[in-house]
Amino acid sequence: MEYILIKTLEAIATFILAFIVGMTYGGVVRKITGRVHNRLGPPWYQNFIDAFKLFSKTRGIHHGAMHFLGAAFLMVTSVVSLMIIPVLAPGGHAWYNSWFTNMNFNGDLIFLLYIMTFGPLGMAMGAGQTGNPNSSIGVTRGLSQMVGFEIPWVMALVALMISYKTTSVIDFMNIQRETGTWLMFANPFAFIAAVLAMLGMFRYSPFDIVGAPTELASGPVSENGGKFLFTMMSSGSVFTFAKLVLYVDLFMGGANNLVMLVVKTFLLYMIPVLYGIVSPRYRTEQAVRWFWGWPTFIGLLAILYAVMF
Amino acid sequence: MITLILLLFLGGAIVTWLGGKLSPIVGDMLFLVTIIVPAGMFFTGVTVGEVTHIHALGLTLTWGLSPLSYLFSMIVVGLGILLAIYAVPFMKGKQKTGAFYFNFTLSVMAMLGILVSKDWVSFFIFWEIMTWSSYLMVILNGKDVQRVGIKYFIFSAIGAYAMLMAMVVMNSQLGSFLMADTFNNFQHLTVGNQILIPILLLTAFGVKSAMMPLHVWAPDAYSNAPMAYTGLFSGALSKMGIYGMVLVMVTMINQLPEGTLIRDIIAWIGGFTAAAATLWAITQDDGKKLLAWSSVGQMGYIIVGVAIGTPLAMLAALFLVVVHAMFKGSLFMVVGAIEKQTGTTDFREINGLIRKMPWTFISALISVIALAGIPPLAGFVSKWMLYEALIQNNNYILVILLFFASTAGFLYCYKFLHGYFLGQEEPEWAHVKEAPVTMVVPMLLLAIGTFVLGTFPQLLFKPIDSALQYVGYDATGGHLWGQSILFSEWGDVVTLQPILYAVLAVFVFFALFLWFKGTKGTRYVSTKDISSSGELPKEWENLTFKVNFMQPFERVIEPFLKRQIDKYYTAFGNGLEALFEFTRRIYTGNGQTYAIYAILFLALLLLFRVNLFG
Amino acid sequence: MYNDKNSKKIVETIQNWARSHSVWVLAYGTGCGAIEIAPTMTSRYDAERLGFRGAATPRQADVMLITGYLTVKTVKRVVRVYEQMQSPKYVVGFGSCTINGGMYYDSYNTINLLDKYLPVDVYINGCMPRPEAVIAGLAKLQQIIREGKANGAEKYLENLDWYKANQRKIAPKWIAKAPDYNW
Repeated sequence: MEYILIKTLEAIATFILAFIVGMTYGGVVRKITGRVHNRLGPPWYQNFIDAFKLFSKTRGIHHGAMHFLGAAFLMVTSVVSLMIIPVLAPGGHAWYNSWFTNMNFNGDLIFLLYIMTFGPLGMAMGAGQTGNPNSSIGVTRGLSQMVGFEIPWVMALVALMISYKTTSVIDFMNIQRETGTWLMFANPFAFIAAVLAMLGMFRYSPFDIVGAPTELASGPVSENGGKFLFTMMSSGSVFTFAKLVLYVDLFMGGANNLVMLVVKTFLLYMIPVLYGIVSPRYRTEQAVRWFWGWPTFIGLLAILYAVMF
Repeated sequence: MITLILLLFLGGAIVTWLGGKLSPIVGDMLFLVTIIVPAGMFFTGVTVGEVTHIHALGLTLTWGLSPLSYLFSMIVVGLGILLAIYAVPFMKGKQKTGAFYFNFTLSVMAMLGILVSKDWVSFFIFWEIMTWSSYLMVILNGKDVQRVGIKYFIFSAIGAYAMLMAMVVMNSQLGSFLMADTFNNFQHLTVGNQILIPILLLTAFGVKSAMMPLHVWAPDAYSNAPMAYTGLFSGALSKMGIYGMVLVMVTMINQLPEGTLIRDIIAWIGGFTAAAATLWAITQDDGKKLLAWSSVGQMGYIIVGVAIGTPLAMLAALFLVVVHAMFKGSLFMVVGAIEKQTGTTDFREINGLIRKMPWTFISALISVIALAGIPPLAGFVSKWMLYEALIQNNNYILVILLFFASTAGFLYCYKFLHGYFLGQEEPEWAHVKEAPVTMVVPMLLLAIGTFVLGTFPQLLFKPIDSALQYVGYDATGGHLWGQSILFSEWGDVVTLQPILYAVLAVFVFFALFLWFKGTKGTRYVSTKDISSSGELPKEWENLTFKVNFMQPFERVIEPFLKRQIDKYYTAFGNGLEALFEFTRRIYTGNGQTYAIYAILFLALLLLFRVNLFG
Repeated sequence: MYNDKNSKKIVETIQNWARSHSVWVLAYGTGCGAIEIAPTMTSRYDAERLGFRGAATPRQADVMLITGYLTVKTVKRVVRVYEQMQSPKYVVGFGSCTINGGMYYDSYNTINLLDKYLPVDVYINGCMPRPEAVIAGLAKLQQIIREGKANGAEKYLENLDWYKANQRKIAPKWIAKAPDYNW
């Protein structure tokens, strides 16, 4: 019983870390976007204020049970993927390191890939029940885009699996620690393919076709305000953090302490953000075709590289 | 005992048909008794390994139950019972109820017969009974008999002749119809026959399991049969092809030196089936058609697993066989319930049934999550094992192909749920009520079954393990589990389970959190009250996004969709027809024409006289 | 303790501070004032530094900007959008047209005083108000939100009959068909 209690507390600690870091990143991204636009931009803590304001809305509407469940599905995905992805490398010896080993001794890439699609699908159900046509359009766009970027992403992962004969994230981190080479250098093509897939995964321009504020009135979330939007916003922040940590674990050897974690994830996060700020938006079919073009070719190169070397 | 069960099914089918003529209620009762009594006897009275011999017409038929066929017969009998309970309210008030009950019972009997057959003769007889009864089901509603029925019939005939030819060759070379003999003496055949026989048999089984070039009958036939039967059609009947494939793959192809090549070809065909059928499913606007294509796609996964043939791949394939029967049975029941309650199955016509048919929606949701292969449910377990097996077996590109198929599968999964249950609620469908309890309970049971198998996969692993040992694999014991990270132990404790419990706990927590936090100061608004730029949608205005639902994605895959094997078959058929037409023109039946032919022939002879006679 | 008056007051103060610093704007571009929103939000005047941000749908928005004259046809839509927003919610009237009709004061199909149909929290005078004026108005809105005085939603609910009667005068059929506002 005590064991479960401690585990739960540790899980909550991880969640709070992810929430704070993810929210801060959101604010910082808005600040950076502002600076690139040659304006001041909001303060870095703006997202916290927004979230708190949404949480303290006094009235709201819902369209039925699935509307609630959609947000819950989204949150489950974020939390479970955070629990399974190793936040800190097993080698580090900081005093807080043991807090963040939740269920990640089982960290399995294929499991992760599938659980990560659970949320979008549940969210899609919630968006569907609102009856708003914009929501449904956004969902079909999002799912199409997911089929697009999933190909190079899976290719990159399969290339890693071929090279090291494992599907465990922990094993990948141990391999990088033992050999001393980050996998982004050991198999550069896999890293490039994964980063290109990442552009679609984080949904910044030119791949922000799901939300598309001017076209779809923010798409799937267009009927959500107040608590629903708060849940989605925090889940999105946590999920962003979880995905970044997964990339760092796989390609940059993980992080031994929180400072390194923040530095590495932030650097990675800047790739889709900075590319997004200066890009217009693709149409859905253009986005899917883009992912099936060069990124897939590089993914194939990664597999070839892994098979040959 | 087996003989008795089969005879009970056969007798019951006839009695049901006759009883149905007296009064519909008698027919219903007799039908339920006919299915449930022999099925109960099967569960209680039949032991694995039991063998019966029957001497008839100078032949000895051998029937017995092996662990492998026990696994498959569990699907047949279990799905049979649930669908029978479902079929009674489904068929109420419809035409040809007697024929439906008759063919349904006969199909169940024929499938059990195939599974217990230990010699090729009875195997072939039961195979034909199965084909005929399903053919009659396909044309039961009398729609599109010309197109759908004949397509199914021709392909079944191709399969049957291929099997018959293989049987004849085996018997003439080896002198025995017993399956065990043919498998054991396979080495004594000539090399040509060694390759010919498996290919013929695989053609026969590939037709039934809708392998890609032979699949064209499947979507039409699945969607044309009554939905109460399609669950059995897709869930159990197509699995007979897989059963045969397992036998052929393990017993014959394993003995071939060229076996690996054949295995690779079949695996690639399976992977291609999975991907292409998924893309076709996305483009469908009818729930029946969508599920039919999706069935073809899922069979592709199973074929890949069987063709790869490593213990883990076989485990994955057989697991998916059972799970697919469960979730696809449930989904076809859902479509049947919707058809029963609304009278149509077109996505573009039905909207927002979620609040009217909540239990149907719940079973559809669970089944769809299982179909998509998302973790807490059983579909994930099989897909995950399949990927592991493929990576271990160095089939890397095949992994990508299957991943693509599975991700693209989310599109049609969403399309299915959105099409029927989500979207705006229309006054047109305000009268719709939840389906009768006897229809809802079977589909809910199957959906819950996928959930149970996802959480406790070991319930199914033990029967599959004994089946694999029977066909000649080593005792797997626990070592299959050691290969993976999630399932570290064989037995009741699997490491996956804590994760699944955690998923559930978090889900319940957040659902409750949102519910409590959300309901305070939150009120329900109808789906007409949406943020539509200040506009007030009229009652009759349907704003749901349904037509051209996946259009952007369809634009991407358009170049692929242009190429259909169906068109080639049609062109081939048209070509043949033209040839026959030409042949018919020669034989006009007019004496004068024949006289002209004779004169022309003589003239030709005269012309070439020098060459011929000179 | 949670229901204690003082702790409630503290919570409310924090909430009001957050509301004032995170205002999501639904810019209802009815009249010529919509042109002023673009410079207000973009690089030149950058309202985002104060916590203002565009919202895509009324469900997500906190404040509605009525930018200019309102014809009878648009009033219906504006009322509908306002009712779909989730409280606490605010209305800002742009320009003279929303105060007294401006240059359309004697037009047969525009309204003269917005306050008769919706509870306006802040008016920004001018024809048109320049972005500086807009920002000043928004700052004023922030101030009254922080003080807890921006209670237009409650006012609307309290005087619902009066507002509805006024709305019914100009659009009787529409208001009869709209869903009830009871929250």
